[in-house]
Amino acid sequence: MAKNVLLVDDSSTMRKIISRSLRQAGLEFGKIFEAGDGQEALAVLESEEVDIVLSDINMPNMNGIEFLREKAGRDAIKDIPVFMISTETGEDIIGEAKSLGAAGALKKPFTPDKVNEVLGPLM
Amino acid sequence: MDVNTELAPRLTESTLEIFTGMVMMEIEPLEETAAALGVLHNSITGMVGLAGTHKGLLAVHLPEAVALAVTGSFLGMEVAEINEDVQDAIGEIANMLGGDLKMILSDKGKDIQLSLPSTISGETYTFASSADIDHLVLPFKAPDGIFQVVVELEK
Repeated sequence: MAKNVLLVDDSSTMRKIISRSLRQAGLEFGKIFEAGDGQEALAVLESEEVDIVLSDINMPNMNGIEFLREKAGRDAIKDIPVFMISTETGEDIIGEAKSLGAAGALKKPFTPDKVNEVLGPLM
Repeated sequence: MDVNTELAPRLTESTLEIFTGMVMMEIEPLEETAAALGVLHNSITGMVGLAGTHKGLLAVHLPEAVALAVTGSFLGMEVAEINEDVQDAIGEIANMLGGDLKMILSDKGKDIQLSLPSTISGETYTFASSADIDHLVLPFKAPDGIFQVVVELEK
């Protein structure tokens, strides 16, 4: 069954690009939900059927690290996998994201081939 | 790190990768310069600040025609005026370049923090900074004109 995806990025442009890249990568998915920061993402996760989250790190209001920390404390949504898509792919910040449960990271800029390679196994 | 011999080629490579791989636009690097840009006309600037072990900013300055073409190619749609889509797209390009700059300047991205991207645009504005900085201007030729990637770092 195709998985529903939540895209979390404060840039509407980047949400469109990620959505387009998922299609170009030939990945099968169901619904795509969008959120502009971690707070909005938590609200979507609490109200919609989401299978995978693709999240930026550097965002206003609640950034990707704060989002992971908050999500980890909520039983109903804590097991939904989160993949970080960010310009911030230094070992320190990605290490912190993984320690909070992130499944992996994809660096911006990315190509559809890279999206397929990294996210294909999750989809 | 010397901005001309070490930073310039790596940031040029990053810019080409972003434009070719994500904006879907072929661009050509022109000769780099240390000259300040001065007054900008009918342009938009996207920028991110750096704090930590390296302090400064990265900016990308695009004439309106180039910005509209870049955004149109980035989003796969026609864009006729500077609007929120253009501001968001140019800010995101600055954000990606800032992320690469951070990785270039520090050991695996440690000890440098990036600000959220912001944009300014208008008919006439001046981009100026203090004299005591390392200043790098990387011009690129796009199909609709020339744009610049600028790095300014505190010495």
